[in-house]
Amino acid sequence: MCLIRACSQEYISRFSLVGSWLKMVLMSGRTFCAHVIINFLLLLSCNIIYGTETDIFCLKSIKDSLEDPYGYLKSSWDFNNITQGSICRFTGVECWHPDENRVLNLNLSNVGLKGQFPRAIQNCTSLTGLDFSINKLSGKIPADIDVLLPFVVTLDLSYNMFSGEIPKSIANCSYLNSLKLDRNALSGRIPGELSFLTRLRTFTVTNNLLRGPVPNLPQVPAESYANNSDLCGGPLPPCS
Amino acid sequence: MRWKKTELADMQMGSFFLLAILAFGLVLNVSANTEVEVLYAWKANLIDPNNVLQSWDATLANPCTWLHVTCNGDNNLVRIDLGKANLSGPLIPQLGQLSNLMYLELYDNNISGAIPIELGNLIKLVSLDLFSNRLSGHIPDSLGNLQRLRFLRLNNNSLSGSIPRSLTTIATLQVLDLSSNHLTGDIPINGSFAFFTPMSFRNNPGLKPQKFPPPPPMFQIAPTPSAKGPSSS
Repeated sequence: MCLIRACSQEYISRFSLVGSWLKMVLMSGRTFCAHVIINFLLLLSCNIIYGTETDIFCLKSIKDSLEDPYGYLKSSWDFNNITQGSICRFTGVECWHPDENRVLNLNLSNVGLKGQFPRAIQNCTSLTGLDFSINKLSGKIPADIDVLLPFVVTLDLSYNMFSGEIPKSIANCSYLNSLKLDRNALSGRIPGELSFLTRLRTFTVTNNLLRGPVPNLPQVPAESYANNSDLCGGPLPPCS
Repeated sequence: MRWKKTELADMQMGSFFLLAILAFGLVLNVSANTEVEVLYAWKANLIDPNNVLQSWDATLANPCTWLHVTCNGDNNLVRIDLGKANLSGPLIPQLGQLSNLMYLELYDNNISGAIPIELGNLIKLVSLDLFSNRLSGHIPDSLGNLQRLRFLRLNNNSLSGSIPRSLTTIATLQVLDLSSNHLTGDIPINGSFAFFTPMSFRNNPGLKPQKFPPPPPMFQIAPTPSAKGPSSS
């Protein structure tokens, strides 16, 4: 499940930590028990503390990886002197709790951002809402988007310059209620697997370069598929 | 003027009873109506080692000059901000009489006992933050009446029982956190709960994981042409 995948990244980094601890420990046998306990607690912490330092790292990496020509992030996202709940006061950031650095929603709509989809978003492990609409982001939507955003509920990438195909793995984002991909340069087929998204209420792909049969999503009207290359089936004319 | 002994004794008895009734009333608050009365009754039930409630003066007509509470333009109480105040003691049913309350911020304290069902009367409530306390008992069904609620955070308590289905009717709910409690039963997935992921429910060992309905076929099957006439699309 996506949850396990998201956590496994943590475990892998923890295990390499454990490896280096063990080397040290073999030299000083007395402290062996203490180290075992400490590392066990570190591993446990992956389940209990789901992201606080990782969330700070997430936002810092996003800021570093994107071009910000209007200085929107530069002014508000100040990483000097971070305290409990500091990132919750960054513009565009909504936290789960006011005094805890754990990002719930990220809204960076219409701030002129350029660059590729920031993979660092994976470190915002409690993220449910992402709005990158109306920017100049380009390149492909990551093929492993389900690993980057396992709990995403609303995803808006509309009005950007994303190209390539809609990744099949997006069908593993089981909690998706709203997926907006309008006004990009997405091509190829819409994965039929999108019909697995039982919570999906809003799905729009207008103004792209998509072709082929649309997935079986009875709740999606014909208008949501308008202005593409050659989509067919569903509410649209049947495929030949 | 000199009182007779019997009159004095009567007066003493009378004033004793009056005091007893007042004290009883302060503690149990048989009929608290004004916002000052409600809050002062609650204060009487709380242990406040940091003296954060020092400014809560019962002689005033309204609580609007008190610290940690906020009023609107009509001098009605709309906010209580007592997060991280080191308070212990219960929530009292009379808090449900604060009919204009929009924000109840009581997180990170040692508040114990149950969530009073009367909190379901606070129909203007937008934020109910009782997280990180020692609350026990069930989440009242009546919270489903809070039809303007946007934030419901009850995490990190000892709440038990099942998640009331009535909560799924709150269409305005944006942030739900019931994690780290002792809740049991199913996790609803209908109504507003379609927006919530396992993160809202984790660390409740007795809660059953959300079920996903079986997926429909990937593509719509095109209707087969009839032998008699032209097929319709």
